[in-house]
Amino acid sequence: MPGQLLSSVADGIVVAAILSVAAMGFTLQFGLTNVLNLSFGSVMTIGGFTAYLLEAARVNPWLGLLLGGAAGAVATVVLGRGVLRQYARRRTQLFEMMMVTLGMSLVIDYSIQAISQNSIYSYTVLQAAPVHLGSIVLTPVQVGIVILAIVILVVAEAALKFTKMGKALRATAVEPSLARSCGIQTGRVVLITWLASGFLCGLAGVVYIISTQSVDYTTGELFLPLIIAAAILGGVGSLKGAVGASLVIGIVTEVVAGLGAGGYSTVAGFAILVVVLLLRPGAVIAGDEDRQLVL
Amino acid sequence: MSAWGFYVATLLIYFAVDLLSGIALNLQFGYAGVVNFGYIVFQAVGAYVAAVVTLGPSLGAGSYQQYILGAHLPFPLDLLAATAAGALLSLLVGLFSLRRMRRDYQAAVLLIVSLIALQVVSADVPLFNGSNGLTGVGWPLGQLFGVTATQSPWLYTVWSLVVVAVVFVGVSWLSRSPWGRSLRAMRDNQGAASAMGLNITSLRLQVFVIGGAIAGLSGGLLVEYIGAWSPGAWGYAETFVIFTAIFVGGVGNYRGVVLGVLLVPVIFLEIPRFLPAIGYPGLTASLEWVVIGLAWMLCIFFRPRGILPERRLHVTPPGALEPGALQPEAAPR
Amino acid sequence: MSAAGQGQNLTFATDREGTSAKPENQGQPVLVAKDVVVDYGGVHAVNRVSLSVAAGEVLGIIGPNGAGKSSFLAALGGQVRRASGTISLDGHEVSGLLPHQRARLGLARTFQTTSEFSRMTVFENLVTAAEGDTGSSLKAVVLHPRRTAQREQELVSHAWEVLERFEMTQVANLYGGELSGGQRRLVEIMRCLMRRPKVLLLDEPMVGVAPHLTGKLISDLRGISRDGLAIVVVEHAMEVVRKLCDRVMVMAFGEVIASGTFEEVAQDATVQSAYLS
Repeated sequence: MPGQLLSSVADGIVVAAILSVAAMGFTLQFGLTNVLNLSFGSVMTIGGFTAYLLEAARVNPWLGLLLGGAAGAVATVVLGRGVLRQYARRRTQLFEMMMVTLGMSLVIDYSIQAISQNSIYSYTVLQAAPVHLGSIVLTPVQVGIVILAIVILVVAEAALKFTKMGKALRATAVEPSLARSCGIQTGRVVLITWLASGFLCGLAGVVYIISTQSVDYTTGELFLPLIIAAAILGGVGSLKGAVGASLVIGIVTEVVAGLGAGGYSTVAGFAILVVVLLLRPGAVIAGDEDRQLVL
Repeated sequence: MSAWGFYVATLLIYFAVDLLSGIALNLQFGYAGVVNFGYIVFQAVGAYVAAVVTLGPSLGAGSYQQYILGAHLPFPLDLLAATAAGALLSLLVGLFSLRRMRRDYQAAVLLIVSLIALQVVSADVPLFNGSNGLTGVGWPLGQLFGVTATQSPWLYTVWSLVVVAVVFVGVSWLSRSPWGRSLRAMRDNQGAASAMGLNITSLRLQVFVIGGAIAGLSGGLLVEYIGAWSPGAWGYAETFVIFTAIFVGGVGNYRGVVLGVLLVPVIFLEIPRFLPAIGYPGLTASLEWVVIGLAWMLCIFFRPRGILPERRLHVTPPGALEPGALQPEAAPR
Repeated sequence: MSAAGQGQNLTFATDREGTSAKPENQGQPVLVAKDVVVDYGGVHAVNRVSLSVAAGEVLGIIGPNGAGKSSFLAALGGQVRRASGTISLDGHEVSGLLPHQRARLGLARTFQTTSEFSRMTVFENLVTAAEGDTGSSLKAVVLHPRRTAQREQELVSHAWEVLERFEMTQVANLYGGELSGGQRRLVEIMRCLMRRPKVLLLDEPMVGVAPHLTGKLISDLRGISRDGLAIVVVEHAMEVVRKLCDRVMVMAFGEVIASGTFEEVAQDATVQSAYLS
């Protein structure tokens, strides 16, 4: 039984690594723009399908991983500049913006459904013999995913702390109008954020399908609730928070699944969000009126 | 009965069911400003409950379908159970999702409820037979007269139109009352409304539960006609068809909702049936959803008040014919 | 502003005289706040601010931008949670109550950014405000339709009186969102009066109000206050403060730095430096 638990925890850390890549992108974007982006899952699916198509064209899977991330970045910038900013010009309210992202999500998901002929495609790359460490069984790819997540956290934190753009981003996230009057080009900050968060989103899509070994049009949509839960639980805008929350959610869901309640593993993750909302209302009360759209 | 007659009757029944949804969402969104992105879940629970309380006791794990709460309840207990189920689930979900939380979080949580509920019900076979769903649901009211819904679709049409008419009259009466006016105040400015003594949390919960009850009823009405219900029937996107219908027809105007429901879920979604088939089977269905998504985005972009917008209530000065009465304006501006 | 202000000096003088003959019930504090603290992320936006306002009294709060005036009003109204301190309204301890509960105890307020119900007519704005307590009751509407209709009739004529008093009957059927800035302010004030409150909190009520109406609004407010209403007003226009308020409290950096009559405060050196800095 302890061995079983240990292996569940190890699986949970792998899930957490995948989740944290997505959640870091989500929280970065949400923290800056204040738009609760429901199309994030759809962009993940775009990243996943890009990697699948490249694999079918016999491109190196590592290159596919990078290009999947790039596809996410491009899609996010196109949606941000081409759609969200147009709505912002028409003084669309913060709340309505979320409804717009929902519309984008419907359009993207069902376009993918139409193009992919509503089928599930198998994606088996980078599979190698698993490594046994006592009761823990991990594939090299899973270890790689965990390392990738740690590297991203370290690099992103360092970029936020030490680069000029990172400082500008933090300033804009806290007080956009002040940042603007201090001469920060918030337009550029937003563009960079879309690129970075979109890249992480696409990357998460590829990493996710590497782990599940299949992709279809619902891939991102089913993962979205956990991403939102991780971002809110970790505190919007905090990368470390997102990773910490991903660990909690990942381990809890895998332990629940390990106990033989597979169908309820996602529910466990959601239950954590509900508990957070119930216990820490102060964390989420902050009036929507005070927040402004940054696009 | 001709195939055409059957088709028209079926469309009218779908119209009645979607109109119930439109009324519920218009009360919640158009009047109270509560955005219920998980609406379809409350319709689904009504349908499931109506199904299991009419199917009779479940034959258990070995049989072709298994479920909880099996019973043979007579009319009107079936629909009452469906309505109560919708209201009860709304109360539970509302109690945690309608707290003093940012509105975008609220809406996101409701969307997540919709996604999660679908996964749970699909995976949990003993609950409502998992992803295969339930079949063989009958029509308790028809059984009183010894008919089935498929034998006499016109009878079912009349029945569902009667149900929707009662709900229509009741909800529009409530919406015109001081209570409905309080809802509009809350929608326009929550802070000011609470500073004027309105209990926002309680009002939101009230519209949420009333809407949930109507949703449950609509689910019961639908399942007793089509006879089957499964997770395929209540994807999260179904909610947005009704939202789009309200945007098109008229936010805050129940006659507008009638028009919108006629135009979007009934006419628009039926058109492909009469067009030559394109591509592989299922392509048109996907494309329809894409169009719904685009329509939804356009609706927010142009912010239409719909074909029949909310009507302004005019006051006549005291001393005129009908002193101090609030009346709808004569012609829409 | 100043030209209109001078034109009103005479009215102002008679008003002040009028207040000297106070009714019996006046002088009782109705709103008392002690050591109220409001925190925003560790920063004291309001730091141990106290006040006491009596029925029939108008208290002005002035101070530079960011002094914490609006945050203090929000703490009184319940829109923000106070970190510590007590607030009592008409003898009830209200610091833990929600905005609507304080409203039902007799507190009414306007907001810095106008908060009219934009897709309701001016008339509906007024009627709804008065109905706040009962209108939210689904039970009353369903179970006592006759009583509800009767109350509705009373409110309709009350609302019409208020509209006439503020000469706003011609806009009764316009939507809140169709009004000018000044008219919106008036709608907010009328809405508060519909509730027959004991305490009225006004956050910059004169912004956007046409100059020729300012004088009239001041005398209206003084008249209303004489009927036994306590008013707390945050205002930037000194001329308005001078004419409207019996007492003035000056805030800077979240704290009270001076209080007294307008003349006393205006001569205070701390106040002058706070405004000049």
